[in-house]
Order: sequence, then structure tokens, then C-alpha cells
Amino acid sequence: MTLDTTNLKNAIEVRNLDFFYGKFKGLKSINLNIAENKVTAFIGPSGCGKSTLLRTFNRMYDLYPGQRAEGEINLYGENILDKERDLNLLRSKVGMIFQKPTPFPMSIYDNIAFGVKLYENLNKADMDERVEWALNKAALWNEVKEKLNQSGLSLSGGQQQRLCIARGVAVKPSVLLLDEPTSALDPISTGKVEELVHELKNDYTVAIVTHNMQQAARVSDFTAFMYLGELIEFNETKQIFLKPDRKETEDYITGRFG
Amino acid sequence: MDIGIYNRRKRTNKIGLTLSMVAMTLGMIVLLWILFILFSKGFAALSGNFFTQSTPAAGSDGGGLANAIVGSLMMVVSCTLISTPIGVLAGIFMAEYGDRSRIAGITRFVTDIMLSAPSIVIGLFVYAILVAQVKHFSGWAGTMALSLLAVPVILKTTENMLRLVPGTLREAAYALGTPKWKVSFSVILRAAKSGVMTGILLAVARVSGETAPLLFTALNNQFFSTDMNKPMANLPVVIYQFALSPYENWVNLAWGGALLITLTVLGLNVLARVFFREKS
Amino acid sequence: MTSMSSGIQLTPEMAKIVRNQKMQDFLFHKVTFFFASLVLIVLAGILVSLVMTSWPALKEFGPGFFFSSEWDVVNQKFGGLTSIYGTLVTATLALVIAVPLSFGIAVFLTEMCPNWLRRPLGTAVELLAAVPSIIYGMFGLFVFAPLFATYVQPFLTDTIGQVPVIGALFQGAPNGIGLLCAALILAFMVVPFITSVMRDVFEIVPPVLKESAYGIGCTTWEVVTRIVLPYTQAGVVGGVMLGLGRALGETMAVTFVIGNAHRIRASLFSPGSSIASTLANEFGEAEPGLHYASLFALGLALFIITFIVLSAAKWMLVRMEKQKGTKS
Repeated sequence: MTLDTTNLKNAIEVRNLDFFYGKFKGLKSINLNIAENKVTAFIGPSGCGKSTLLRTFNRMYDLYPGQRAEGEINLYGENILDKERDLNLLRSKVGMIFQKPTPFPMSIYDNIAFGVKLYENLNKADMDERVEWALNKAALWNEVKEKLNQSGLSLSGGQQQRLCIARGVAVKPSVLLLDEPTSALDPISTGKVEELVHELKNDYTVAIVTHNMQQAARVSDFTAFMYLGELIEFNETKQIFLKPDRKETEDYITGRFG
Repeated sequence: MDIGIYNRRKRTNKIGLTLSMVAMTLGMIVLLWILFILFSKGFAALSGNFFTQSTPAAGSDGGGLANAIVGSLMMVVSCTLISTPIGVLAGIFMAEYGDRSRIAGITRFVTDIMLSAPSIVIGLFVYAILVAQVKHFSGWAGTMALSLLAVPVILKTTENMLRLVPGTLREAAYALGTPKWKVSFSVILRAAKSGVMTGILLAVARVSGETAPLLFTALNNQFFSTDMNKPMANLPVVIYQFALSPYENWVNLAWGGALLITLTVLGLNVLARVFFREKS
Repeated sequence: MTSMSSGIQLTPEMAKIVRNQKMQDFLFHKVTFFFASLVLIVLAGILVSLVMTSWPALKEFGPGFFFSSEWDVVNQKFGGLTSIYGTLVTATLALVIAVPLSFGIAVFLTEMCPNWLRRPLGTAVELLAAVPSIIYGMFGLFVFAPLFATYVQPFLTDTIGQVPVIGALFQGAPNGIGLLCAALILAFMVVPFITSVMRDVFEIVPPVLKESAYGIGCTTWEVVTRIVLPYTQAGVVGGVMLGLGRALGETMAVTFVIGNAHRIRASLFSPGSSIASTLANEFGEAEPGLHYASLFALGLALFIITFIVLSAAKWMLVRMEKQKGTKS
């Protein structure tokens, strides 16, 4: 069931989206809206298609021959599934953070500056400012401000993931996609990242995939429950977790299957 | 339990393992024997003159292998400078576009063939298209032959090392909107840097010891020369000619050269290993 | 609502950047493609140039060239059989000797070697594989061949040489150098290589697999022959074929000790020649004409033989992977 979002602006509108891995249909007729400046969570058991759906939003699947999407995904009114769409440009506007922290093999400073340099011509002072701003947004500045020249790989797991988040926000995208961002992290780092997500939604639209239901309940405004490639239910998070409409949703949430 | 069968199995096991031990011992004996011969005969020739004087004329005393050492160095260095960009760029193509391109599949097959192709045939080829055309042997022809041997090695190791870089790193770079060439150079190649360098070092080690491809291309030069357009003295061919000669002086120099080449090749291999282990 | 969230705005600067990026990626594709295709161009070039240069000989002698054992420089009559025979015999014999040896060493290194010895011995094998082949040739000529002539050859003549039929292989003057000696030196050269390949594939066998075999009471030998070997057969076959390819094309290890005579005799003690040794010995003095063209014809033959062996290896590997179901 889709939510009535007439008084909310939508960043992304998905219409009749099908996704194929070769002959296998991974997503079936998905229809939903991602509201601007809100956090939308995707939950469901393994293999339900939540990561697949997330990865259509920045056309990451395009890297792999044999994977294709059919239907419409409108980012602020423009269909990104259009063949003519410039993918690099799209991806500079729709950022993604992955499950495993992926710092580039360069210094912490360069990690952040890398994405910015692609599309903006900043002088040293402005770049320094942007790097500091991004690291502050990721709540990492105080921990690394003395060692910006050290390799990104020298940080701990939780710090690396926050570095990746800083890298993602530094380019000032419209949408941030988080694909199970804390599943590889310890509880303390997880807590820090969740705080971050709360703050980020003031400036960005956030879509987060998580297999941790409690996390979805904690951080998101809207939740979508998916199962076997279909969108079963989509509503305000409060509704989903307190009074779900569908039986499958209730079964999943109460742990009857997982 | 049939004790007979069990005993038979135990016996087979013992025989098999003993034979393996024998094989290992034999292998070690041969290895040590060869190294011992090489070092003992080779050291005798490594005097001061060895590195400073050029090859002596037939039958005369003294002399060294200076011209051969310099010639080999020049050809190996030029070969490295030429084959590294070609091999690395080709390897990048195979890693980045290899899954979508049919040419890539054929190229991989051909690269494997070239990797094990007889090096003497490579020498023939360069002779036919270069030496025969300009009617003289040259250091450049030798360099070309060595490059033809080095490029497949560098190509293969570069491709393999690039493919080892985790897919998520690649995706993270694309997720920022990075154009493909930048993903390849600034992120992937950088991440695989030490492995690629190891491949280059190993290729250099391999071509340093090759004789056959130089026989018909660089040939040899009695005198000291740094002119790459003329026949160029080089260690492997000098060793070959001197070892088969009747002159004791020449044979001794050959052993010295053999020791030098072996130490260089082994040194490069060890360097490659250490380099890789350190960085990864 | 901040400007960041108001959709995808395309400023003129960004449009320019995007255009540049498209062109950069286009160039990237073309340049790397060019260098990759160089390998193909070279292969084609090798074949073409070999065929063209050897054409005079092929035309003169026809396909019979590869089956004639004449090699008369004075009368300009050439046939490749002696060289081809030498190449095939030395390489095959070398492998027959090397493969069991390599297998034994690989088994020792992976199953029997005490841990503290494993790394040094393994490194020793790999370094041996890197030793230039000319060293093996010199070792063969100056050290091995004389000893071979003094001790081994008479022994062989007195023992196996007396057996009917195969005894003929071990008769003849104990010169040291000859086909058998060349095969042995070649074997020494190829053993480290095949050993490394075998050891590498043996080490990839998942420990759980071996443990389950030990768990039902298998002896070490049984684990190796019934579990490890079948599991790694693709890699082992590949390694052996690669070793064969290398042995066929080897010049220096063989030229020193093969004897360089253009004839085919029953005995393995007799001197002979391989394609590579013929080329190494005679190319320097070959006059343009039939001699020159014949040498190139030999080179062509060697290239084709190696090509066939390596292609067969790849084909077998692919088929084995398919049979095991690891590739679809």
C-alpha cells in the first residue's frame, strides 16, 4: 500500500519497475515514492530485492552485463532509466555508501577531495574548507584533523565507514543511498552512524537498506517492507511497526520468519 | 577388518611417501650441485677487470665482460621502458573491458600462447622484419625481441592484479560519478600498484636471462659500444659463444658471466617477493 | 529547502566537464584497446613472416620437408625430420622424467614437509625455476655430461641395454652428450617449474576436504592420489602442458649437450639436434637461399607444434572445468 504523499515533495518516484538478472526477475512491478529530506528504510529477508532496488537508483547495476531494469524511476521528474542519461552525472547527484567500508588507497584528505575535484574547481582554501565540513558532517573531524595526510586505510573499521560517508556528502548530492552501512561495524560505531543519518536528513534525502529492523525503526521516517522481489507494504515507520496492514509484514516484524 | 588389505595400503603409503622424499632429495642435490658449480667456477672469474674491461680477443688473456654488462643493461632497461606501458595499458583493457569484449577473450588466449612461445622463434621474427630489412644487427632489434617476450608477462600479471581489487572499491568510485578512466587509474591501478610492480620486476628478471632472442637480433660486439643501432654485446650471447669455445680464458669468463646473470635474476625475483609482501 | 535538494541542476561548467569526461573515456577505451590488440597483431605477424620467409624451402621441398631426414648444406637439400625428431624426443622424455619427480617433490612440500622447512624449500624451488636456462646448458656440458659418460652410460648399456628391443635405445658409444643427456638436462630445467605449479594447486585444496578423507582413515598417499590429485587435475594438466611447451622450445639447455648432428639413430646415446639447437647453431652462417629458408621452415614448424600443444592444454582445461561443473 502506498502512502499518500501529496503534501510531501518526492525526490524519487518509482513506477512499475521490473529488474532482471539475466532471465531471473529480481524486482516485480515496484511502485513507491521516496520523499525529499526524509529517511526511507527498506527492510525484508535476505534475497527480497532491497539492495537490488537501491542499486537501481544510481544505476550501479549498469556495470554488469546481464542486469537490466525496465519501467520508470523519476529523479525530480527526470527518468533516470533513460538510455541517454549521463551516468557519471547521475551518480554525482545520487551518492552511495556500501556495506563494507571502501576507503580509496590515498590519504584521508585526498579521499574526500577526490569526488569534489571531479566536478568542481576549488582552490586550496575552499577545498580545505569543504574537506573539514564533510568530515564534521560525518562526525570524524576531531578524530582525524591531525592526520589528514595519513592513508585512509589506517583508520579503524568504524572510522573508515564514516570516512566513506564524509566522502559521499562532500560532493553535495541530492540523494544518499546507504546499503546496510552498519552491518560490518561494532555497536558503538553503529550508534554513531545512526546519529549521523538523523542529522543528514536535514540536508539530504536518505534511502537506507537494513536487515536490522530495530535500526529501521530508530532512524527512518518511512519504511518499505519487501519480500521475494515485491513491495509488500510501504508506510510511515510508526504505522509499519505498530500496526502493519499486511500479514506478511507482521510476520516478519514479529520474527516469525527472517 | 581384513588386516591384509590394511597392510597393503600401509605399504603403498610408505612406498609412495618414500619415493616422494627421494624425489625431493634428488631435486635438492641437483639444485645445490648446480649452484655450487656455478659459484665456484664463477667466482674465480670475478676479478676487478671483469667489470671494467671489454671482451678479450680470441686466445688472448685477461679482459672482462664490461661491454657485455653494459650492453645487457641498456637493452633490458630500454625493453622495460617500452614494454611496461604497453603491457600495463593492455592489461587495463583486459580488466576493464574484458568481460564485454570478444577481442579480450582471444587476446587472453593469445597472450598465454605468447607467454610460453619459444623465444628463439621470437628472435627469428624480429630478424625477418627488422634486421633483414635494415641489413644489420642492432641493440634496438634485441630490445624489440625482449619486449615481445616481456609484454605478455606484464599484461597477464597486470590483468590478474587489477581483477583482484574488490568490486566494492570499484563501485564506490563509480558511485561518486567518476569517469571510467579515472576509476581505472586513480583508484584501481593505485590499489593494485604493488602487484603490478611485481609483475614488471618478474618480467624484467625473465628477459635478463634470455639468450635465444638475442642471437639473431643484437648478435654480439667484441668492443665496447653504447650505440644501439649497431650490434650490441650482451651477457647471454657472450656466455654462449665463450662457453663453447676452446679457449680457457673465454670459458672462465663465461662462468663469471653466468654467475652474474644468475645473481641478477635471483636478486630481482627476491626483490619482487619482498616488495609485494611489504606492501600488501 | 536548500539548493542541494532541488533536483539535478546542470550548470554550464558541469556540462563542459561531462563532455570532457565522455571524450576522456572514449580515448581511454581506444588507447587501451589498441595496446591489447598489439598482442594479436604480433602473433599474426609472426605467422605471416615465418611463412613468407620459409616459402622458398616449402615450395622446393613441399610438405615432404617435414618428413625428410636429409640435411645437406653443400648440396642444398634440406629436410626437417632430424630436428623435429630431436625436439619431440627430448621434450617428451624430459617430461616423462620430470613429471613424476615434480609430483614427488610437490607431495613432499605439501604433505610431508615440517613447517619450519616449508617456506625455505618452497622459495628454493621457485628460485630454481627462475634460473636462466643457459646455466643448465653449461652445467650439462661441463659437469654432467662427462660424469654421465663415465658412470651412467656404461651402466645403462650393461643393464637395460642388454634387454631385447628397448635395449637398442641404450646402446652406443658413451659420449656423454646426446639425446638422452639433453633430455635429462631439460628435465632438470623443467622440474622446478612444474613443481611450483603443482604445489600451488595442491595448496588450494580446501583443508576440510583432506580432513574428511583422513577422518575415514585414509593414508596420506591415498589422500593425495584419490582426493587432491583429482580435485586439482585441471591445474596439474595445465602445468604439465605448459612445461611441455617450454621444453619443446628450449634452446640453451639443449644446444650445449645435444650433440648437433643431423641424423636419427635408434640409440638415445647418439647425438642429434632439435629445432632450436639447429637454429642456434646454423643461423649465423646460413647463406640466403634454401638453407636460410629451411631454417625458417623449422622455426615455423616449432611455432606450430608449440601452438598446438598449448591450445590443446587450454582446451583440455576448459573441458575439465566443464565436466566438474565449475564452469557453465
